[in-house]
Amino acid sequence: MSVPRGSGAGPALDLGALAELVAASVSHRRAAAGDELAKVASEDVVVADAEVVRPGRPGLVSVTANVDALRVHVVLGLRAPGDEVRFLTDADDAPLGIIEDETGLAVVFDALGDAELADLLLDEVAGDQGPIEWVHRIAETSESVSLAYDDRLAFTVFQQLPAPGERHSGLELYLGLDDAGFNQLLAPVALWQRRGTDLGVVQEYQPGTTTGWVLALASLRDLAESGAAPEEAGADFAAEANRLGTMTARMHLALDTAFGRRTGDVSTWTDAVEASARAADPAIVEDASVQALLAELRRTTRPCVAIRTHGDFHLGRVARTDLGWLVLDCSPGGVPAGEGTAPTFRSPLADVADMLWSLHRAAEVAAAERDPTGEAGLRHLTQAWEVRNRRAYLAGYLATPGIGGLVPSGRDLVRTLAAAFELERSAIHAAARA
Amino acid sequence: MTTDGSSPAHDPAGSVDPVDPVELAVGDVPVAPELAGLAELPVGQQAPPAGGPVPDAAEDPRWYQRAVFYEVFIRGFFDGNDDGTGDLSGLIAKLDYLQWLGVDCLWLLPFFPSPLRDGGYDISDYFSVHPEYGTVDELRKLLDEAHARGIRVIADLVINHTSDQHPWFLESRQSRDNPKADWYVWNDDDQRWPEARVVFVDVERSNWAYDAQRDQYYWHRFYGHQPDLNYDNPEVVEAMLGVVRFWLDLGLDGFRLDAVPFLYQRDGTAGENLPETHAFIRTVRSVLDAEYPGRILLAEANGWPADVADYFGDGDECHLCFHFPLMPRLFMAVRREQRYPVTEILAQTPDIPDGAQWAIFLRNHDELTLEMVSDEERDYLFSEYASDPRMKRHMGIGRRLAPLLDRDRRLAELLWSLLLSLPGSPVLYYGDEIMMGDNVYLGDRDSVRTPMQWTPDRNAGFSRADFAQLYLPPLMDPVYGFTAVNVEAQQRNPSSFLHWVRRMLGVRRQFPVFGTGEIEILACSNPAVLGFVRYDDRAVANPMLCVHNLSRFAQPAELHLGRWAGRQPVEVLGRVPFPPVGTDPYPVTMASHGTEWFELVEPATALTAEAGPAAELGEAPR
Repeated sequence: MSVPRGSGAGPALDLGALAELVAASVSHRRAAAGDELAKVASEDVVVADAEVVRPGRPGLVSVTANVDALRVHVVLGLRAPGDEVRFLTDADDAPLGIIEDETGLAVVFDALGDAELADLLLDEVAGDQGPIEWVHRIAETSESVSLAYDDRLAFTVFQQLPAPGERHSGLELYLGLDDAGFNQLLAPVALWQRRGTDLGVVQEYQPGTTTGWVLALASLRDLAESGAAPEEAGADFAAEANRLGTMTARMHLALDTAFGRRTGDVSTWTDAVEASARAADPAIVEDASVQALLAELRRTTRPCVAIRTHGDFHLGRVARTDLGWLVLDCSPGGVPAGEGTAPTFRSPLADVADMLWSLHRAAEVAAAERDPTGEAGLRHLTQAWEVRNRRAYLAGYLATPGIGGLVPSGRDLVRTLAAAFELERSAIHAAARA
Repeated sequence: MTTDGSSPAHDPAGSVDPVDPVELAVGDVPVAPELAGLAELPVGQQAPPAGGPVPDAAEDPRWYQRAVFYEVFIRGFFDGNDDGTGDLSGLIAKLDYLQWLGVDCLWLLPFFPSPLRDGGYDISDYFSVHPEYGTVDELRKLLDEAHARGIRVIADLVINHTSDQHPWFLESRQSRDNPKADWYVWNDDDQRWPEARVVFVDVERSNWAYDAQRDQYYWHRFYGHQPDLNYDNPEVVEAMLGVVRFWLDLGLDGFRLDAVPFLYQRDGTAGENLPETHAFIRTVRSVLDAEYPGRILLAEANGWPADVADYFGDGDECHLCFHFPLMPRLFMAVRREQRYPVTEILAQTPDIPDGAQWAIFLRNHDELTLEMVSDEERDYLFSEYASDPRMKRHMGIGRRLAPLLDRDRRLAELLWSLLLSLPGSPVLYYGDEIMMGDNVYLGDRDSVRTPMQWTPDRNAGFSRADFAQLYLPPLMDPVYGFTAVNVEAQQRNPSSFLHWVRRMLGVRRQFPVFGTGEIEILACSNPAVLGFVRYDDRAVANPMLCVHNLSRFAQPAELHLGRWAGRQPVEVLGRVPFPPVGTDPYPVTMASHGTEWFELVEPATALTAEAGPAAELGEAPR
């Protein structure tokens, strides 16, 4: 049995040998992540498909395989014995094994840990990108590895893939935003796909970005130090929160353009909120104010617009650059799990509520870290910070032209719906902690 | 020992009277013969040292790109004739101080005869000097004495309008057919050009004022007592060129053109930045280039950099333009403890023609204006002001630098370090080099125009007149008063702010790339750290790496210095070599509000750099 060949005129590769190499690669990966016990044996690997991306030496082979219940992707680098290799990480210096093809015997490395192979892979996927001086490995999760080239391009290679036939949902969202003209993201340069499966994405890269979470905590740090009201304290975050609100609205307008809108059902959403809250702690639902909130929503007869929302939209999912804010999705290291979750159509206020909750969390974390006993009285300052920045965020969001077509009409419904979604977020958070 | 960074070879000859013991000490420090040569920088990096006479234009036509400007309010600088008001003879007496400090060019606020209803920006005679300040002969002497010390001098020129007491206007208003009848902008009604905004909207209702004598209205973009000249009249253009030639013949090195955008009016326009205005400036520039090479024009056009850059023309209009929006953003960056306000405005700053230069400043004689943000609904700065009452209170009115910073020395050094290292020629305001205070009870503009504080003696050493005779009282409070804050005390104290400023001006002079180089903002994931490289690919000069910590806390940062891999940073004050730059982000640790400047040298020259002059002279820790 031989492997189907890709664009390159490569030789047939032995499937058993490939399975061994995939097992070695996945084991390496897990060991590097501190999971020594999760070694994979070659018997557990079922190679699904492979493509010779670059024949000869150094050569590149992309392999997808099923390991246990996971669908994984490995990029193998084939080198002539004795080749000198410049490794990108200390952990990747051991070869995965050897393999033989028509060129002869090859020593195989993880291509994403080898500077020259990483450079060649970029050219194969994105076309010639001009001379590259150096490659850095900038992020690594169980789902993906991201490489930066000369601080100008980033290449994220997915290591965990969604089920066959499904798009990588984060990538789909990202490409949809880009197609709709939303420019507060790192622009795509090339997409790496094989038979409908998303394998990676090449983007423009911007080094030196800072997540909103880090920025918010820096603001709270200076607030705590100064002891003055947030608007007097120096590193005020409100102008940034305001801009974040504007960006969120622009993102929603683009998502509406890209994925269309549906009619949303408030009572369905309300049921989901209640279920989440009950799962976290049944006492929450018994609370009178929560009861009132849910009851008020159930009385709503007004139809609401549902769009494809971002989902889990928090301060860690946005980044400040020297020129403004970015949505980090599909950014290097920021790729959300594929996990096969169906794209969610909800009121855009769900994302807004996520971000409000994130502002709340930032204030909580700062107070807990700097005034754990509460004796210093910091909490009233962090609460003032939260109120100020929630207002600024909402003001930026609701003042964006066009957003009125997406959020429910009427202040009360906006308020209660956002509050309900935030309740849901807090319940999910509480459940995760428990 | 001294903390003064310059070697004896660079020390200007003149020191202030009485002889400063610190200065003597500099000369006394023995320099080992084997180190003597190290005081010289590699060929190509040697800037003309401060102190020699001004070279002629052919030698250094682009001096203004590297110059440090110093704004002098003559009335408040030094009183040479004991009448309580600063004057030209007083300024001449203090040229040694300015040479010692190391400034390259003085900018004089208007010194022309004037009813002084607008700080001298209401000129009533273009060919003379206000009697309180002196005479034309004294001005000529000032120019000669300054030039002998290597200092150039430019002056404010108000060309848009005159005082209503100017003989031209007095004649023009006489009748509708006198020889000057058409020198100003007259109209039968006050309805023309409704699109033109009223600049001083709080005090003027209209740009038209009625004159009963002519039974007509005259046009004024500023105060009603400042009628606008009619530049559609060729006689006015010729007259103004005559004014320009008169002062350049006397030796003046150029002009700051006041209120430049408003020279012409056209139907259906706002009467600002019209093509005719640019044509007029090109005419003035061509006179300078043809008859007075090396003299300069500095434009005051308050606006966005992209619009203001029009006043550079194709390199055939002004040599320098003020970069107004940078200044408040520097304050905002320090206040917000993050670099974004600065990086954003630099991103909005267009490339400018070869030979052009921005003029940048921290504070000047005016209050901070927010004019430039009026049309920008989404403007960051405006939302800042709206959202931060303290900034609004402090910066919407005239304050000096030190009170704005609550007299925080580290913050002052941080802001000055930014001023001296960002692209543009820095313009200093008199007194800020000793962290002088202001007097808000005097009202907005006078609050920052109190007498220069020279000594702890009577009248701050500014004047020997009776106290009651002084044009304004000097500051006498315990914090900013002249007994606490004065030039003499700071000259005697090597760790004073004045000495720090002088040392930094010396460093800047050593590295002309600060004046002529490009800027590369360095990517860095710590928003509190602003790092950039100043470089000039056309010159052999080494790039300079400048890193600023905008936070009150110590901060780590990793700077993306990829382009400069292989170079070695050498800290400029101590000539301390740092580890070479590799392809990985370069780690630095910055002290609270810390600033560091490094020369990025080729490794081969790093050893030489290590034993630089400042280190050998016993640089004290900062």
